[in-house]
Amino acid sequence: MGLRVALCACLLALAAAGCGTAEREDDAAAVSVRFHAALKAGDGQAACDQLAEETASKLEQQEQKPCEEAILGLELPKGGSVAVRRVEMRSAYAGLAEGSADFLDEGPDGWKVSAAGCRAVTPNRPYECELEG
Amino acid sequence: MRRFLKHNGLSVAFLVLFLAAVGGQAIAGHADFNEEQIRHGDPELSLGRYVVSADFGTAVMENWQSEFLQFTLFILLTVWLVQRGSPESKELDKAGRESDEEQKVGPHAQRNSPVWAKVEGIGRTLYENSLLIVMGTIWLGTWFAQSVTGWTQYNSERLDHHMDTVGWWHYLGRPDFWEKTLQNWQSEFLAVGSMAIFAVYLRQRGSPESKPVGAPHTATGVEG
Repeated sequence: MGLRVALCACLLALAAAGCGTAEREDDAAAVSVRFHAALKAGDGQAACDQLAEETASKLEQQEQKPCEEAILGLELPKGGSVAVRRVEMRSAYAGLAEGSADFLDEGPDGWKVSAAGCRAVTPNRPYECELEG
Repeated sequence: MRRFLKHNGLSVAFLVLFLAAVGGQAIAGHADFNEEQIRHGDPELSLGRYVVSADFGTAVMENWQSEFLQFTLFILLTVWLVQRGSPESKELDKAGRESDEEQKVGPHAQRNSPVWAKVEGIGRTLYENSLLIVMGTIWLGTWFAQSVTGWTQYNSERLDHHMDTVGWWHYLGRPDFWEKTLQNWQSEFLAVGSMAIFAVYLRQRGSPESKPVGAPHTATGVEG
């Protein structure tokens, strides 16, 4: 009896973890979609709102411009949908239908884009990204 | 209650030690995890979220699996392998599964033998091997759990470094999985092997894990 209860509890916990992961994947993908939609609309501020703090400040340093101006000058996909989504602990991957990918981190304000416009150039090496923190 | 504690002191003591140690591991692991988060400028995690994280899961499971493997192997190998002079070993001429008479099963069962020792068939076969089956199942279950939590942790690190994730099957071939596994196995094998040899020559008065202090070094399968 005790074993059966423990097994049911395990299965429920696994199911709950699975559901939780799917929800978090959707949340991360939504941030990625919002980011690229803002670029399509030419709204630099809205795009920068989706960025991780470290990524935005690195961009400002590199380009010597405010984030909302600098972000519009990068060669990032304008609009698009997420075809592949993965969440592992507090990191996420959003593969866009057009081919490139975004990486996201989960912080106190939810998911934020830490790298965008990423492509796998060399197998088993970090992706090369147009924007990263 | 007092009588219960006196008769079950060993299991109660180890249960209390286990709970204290696993609680301490959770608290220390949580503090260590958050120190690392602060160093990387990442947000801290609550204790509740830490104990259900892959970090804590891997740390616990990789130790559990190796402990249960240790006992599974010890139970299995001591059926056939002996160690001259060791109280951990059977007598040298008793290697193997032994006769029904020696094992007190079937017609040789005693009045107070467990019911499954008295019957014939699959029920008895399962009961004859029940210790190995349960310990082995827990070992495989916890090793599987280690592979899943380790895989999550590994993929999270890959995403942090802007790399693609890998599948579970692929992770089983990665050095990360085998390093976590073998670093625990080697310590268990060393400890068990040391115990089998040390107990030939060394004694602990009053412990059933040792031979009686005055027993000769050549006496095998004798417990104090």
